[in-house]
Amino acid sequence: MAAVIGWRKKDFWWQSPVVFLEDPAAAHRLVWDPFTVYSPVKFLLEWQASCAAKVGIFVKGCDSRGINRLLQDKRLERERVVVYGVPCGGKADAEKIRASFPAKGIKDVTLLGEQLVLTVGDREVRVAAEAYLLDKCLTCRHPNPVVYDKLLWEEVLPRQRADESRFARVQAVASLATEERFFYWQRQFERCIRCFACRNTCPACNCRVCIFDQAEPRWLGKANDPADTLNYHIIRAFHVAGRCFECGECERICPAGVPLQELNRKLIKDINEAYGDYEAGLDATDQPPLGTYRGEDPAGFDES
Amino acid sequence: MKKVAKTKLAELFSAMAAWGKLYVPAVSDGIVNFVPWQEGLTVALTALNVLVPPKKFFFPQTETVLSYEMGEDLQLEDFACRAGERAILFAARPCDVASFAMMDKVYLDEPLDEAYRRRRENTTVIALGCSEPDEACFCRSFDIDATKAPGADVLAIDIGQELVLVAQTEKGERLISVLNGLLSEATSGDENRVKDEQEKNEGRYVTSVNLRGMMEKLDGMFAADYWEQLYKRCIGCGTCTFLCPTCHCFDLQEYAAGRRGERIRCWDACMFADFTQMAGGHNPRPSQKERVRQRFMHKLNYFPHQHGDYACVGCGRCVRKCPVNLDILEVIQEVGGAVDGL
Repeated sequence: MAAVIGWRKKDFWWQSPVVFLEDPAAAHRLVWDPFTVYSPVKFLLEWQASCAAKVGIFVKGCDSRGINRLLQDKRLERERVVVYGVPCGGKADAEKIRASFPAKGIKDVTLLGEQLVLTVGDREVRVAAEAYLLDKCLTCRHPNPVVYDKLLWEEVLPRQRADESRFARVQAVASLATEERFFYWQRQFERCIRCFACRNTCPACNCRVCIFDQAEPRWLGKANDPADTLNYHIIRAFHVAGRCFECGECERICPAGVPLQELNRKLIKDINEAYGDYEAGLDATDQPPLGTYRGEDPAGFDES
Repeated sequence: MKKVAKTKLAELFSAMAAWGKLYVPAVSDGIVNFVPWQEGLTVALTALNVLVPPKKFFFPQTETVLSYEMGEDLQLEDFACRAGERAILFAARPCDVASFAMMDKVYLDEPLDEAYRRRRENTTVIALGCSEPDEACFCRSFDIDATKAPGADVLAIDIGQELVLVAQTEKGERLISVLNGLLSEATSGDENRVKDEQEKNEGRYVTSVNLRGMMEKLDGMFAADYWEQLYKRCIGCGTCTFLCPTCHCFDLQEYAAGRRGERIRCWDACMFADFTQMAGGHNPRPSQKERVRQRFMHKLNYFPHQHGDYACVGCGRCVRKCPVNLDILEVIQEVGGAVDGL
């Protein structure tokens, strides 16, 4: 292996960014803590495009489904990656911690089973972890890696309430009257700054050239026009429909707090209802519902 | 020095809104942004940085520069003269106010940007001092005092039950005189509390950077290996540039249909692949490495060479919001200056 992609610690307690380690002597810099949340998977695209050597990568349950995503989309050479699977009990939400504790006084945050242990000033505080986990982790059904070469430790149990809460927000929005629902999404998209972080972080967004980056013809205007922004978000959601594996990173990293996972899950729910339950990224060899045809598929376009 | 009770702020806002278009920070779905004030709106007085910096009031993300129509003759309309309705920006934080001076160096220098000039001239800026910088605030390292804002027309300081208002420019005095009926004179006790706030400022930061020699050090780093390891985790989104109060690059786009059209100026980000894409297909910054280098060289080397100041005000937005934690604190720390107190 020429390098291994994992996480390291940075300046603040809430920063555990991805790191590319090339020197085995620097392996001690690798960390696994409540903030090792950013998925390293998409970096494999550029790695494999620019370097023939093998690379190692650490993946949580959600990240591992990204590996399957890239494999199924024929964008990854599996034999050139060594996958270290890390069963994950959930990651912490710095905003939730900040709302309860003075951020400037926090020295350290650790997850110990179902407890979050904080060092605030010189005292240690233990609280139930659940209230401080990321929303996306509370609805996670696959905390254990689904593809790996080596599993780092024993598998963990999925959260008990993950299933029932999975579509809760989708149902809440769907229950709004049509006009209210439109205003709801209008308000969400109004905040979009058009930074494309949602697309850039997404392993399902792996086109060699994205339609939104094309200048000739320019499909998406560069001006931050509400119609264009709506257009962007609808096309993005539809393009990952049936391929989105619910890692929730698009929503988590959105600087403007646009609830993108609601769009993704709405499409997942519709696909489940139309074609039977399907979860993307669990098996790189399965036939995704929107990529296959069966005689009994509903012919939606015939309906009035 | 004047003051107003916080319980009377709604009346004050109402009077300001009658005088000019009033923008205030407010929370919507958990995100704080400057929005037009309206009756009943809750103003986020304690929020520090709004998400999208107030540079947008002078340099909007999207604006029509001109429109044209081809007939017998070419009909051209320059939109600059339409810019700049009378406006008030309430509760801009001192770091953001300091960024206006940097934008001025770009847009008020030759060739002068008329739309920008008109917006600056017709907007009265009320700064609100920060009582509690957060852990990612490091404006002090750029000689910005979070309880002072010399570039603002009016400085507001929160002294508990009241806001003290100090007019700092003629524009500020004009606004204060319009609002005078709603204000009372600050007492010497109030003045002491303002002074007390200002004296406490220094001790409230937990993060500071040492910028000594930064520009000079970067002079010799264009071809350094450093950028090679730095850029790898950058995902090339526009979060840092769009949320940066000093980033000021734009693109011009034609929106044309038939014989008429508009020329639109919109924010651009040096992190995007098409930022330097040439018409013939060549791109002088072919990979994310060159783009990341450009962003930090511009802030810490090119801009200070050209204009005398680092193009950063330490607002901390890139520190808080970069999805991969690739921010200017890291670069300053690794390139040269030390980061103290972390």
